[in-house]
Amino acid sequence: MLGSHIGGTIMDEYQTEEETAFVVEEVSKIIKESVEAAIGGNAYQHSRVNQWSTSVVEQSLSQLSKLGKPFKYIVTCIIMQKNGAGLQTACTCFWDNSTDGSCTVRWENKSMYCIVSVFGLAI
Amino acid sequence: MEGSDTYLIRPNHQYKFKPAVVKECIREIVRERLSGMRYDPEEVPELSRSLAECIKDKVKSSGFDKYKLVVQVVIGEQRGQGVKWVQVKAVCLHSQSTDGRR
Repeated sequence: MLGSHIGGTIMDEYQTEEETAFVVEEVSKIIKESVEAAIGGNAYQHSRVNQWSTSVVEQSLSQLSKLGKPFKYIVTCIIMQKNGAGLQTACTCFWDNSTDGSCTVRWENKSMYCIVSVFGLAI
Repeated sequence: MEGSDTYLIRPNHQYKFKPAVVKECIREIVRERLSGMRYDPEEVPELSRSLAECIKDKVKSSGFDKYKLVVQVVIGEQRGQGVKWVQVKAVCLHSQSTDGRR
């Protein structure tokens, strides 16, 4: 919140609702870009998954914090080789429905799946 | 002059998030519910959902009722031996002193 004095009036600038809301499309775009940057064009390699998943979460978090919104973020990344095995994820949250949000992006190529979840908790 | 209100901006030490306690809550529930089970694609969606709910309820009632909680459950089918084909990583942007992760 900023205050500025213009002429004889005092104007307060509050963050608009748009600037303080968890916008799924915006978050989703950031995740997709982070995943593409980290693993796009790569085939599954066991020795690289650790580094890849770290890149995905760190890049996502860095871009999310640049949004400047009043949120705490949690980013999880799952990279799974395509070998016929099944994977199920579920999540439940105890939070404030009016301010908090989440977004999950599923990405895949010929050899692997990448599932990224972001949870934003309003401060 | 009237008395002023006191607000708690940080949890008292006894209510701080304790990863060890939460880890034990999770272990207990997973052990109880998944021991001896086989991966069944028909059952796993409901199973993972209910596991998440159970864990959330148990953690809430273990003294962390003032916390917002996010519980994520991942159940993967094991085919063949050894090779780790799933990598899970989590990173958070939060308050180091009060928040926790398990």
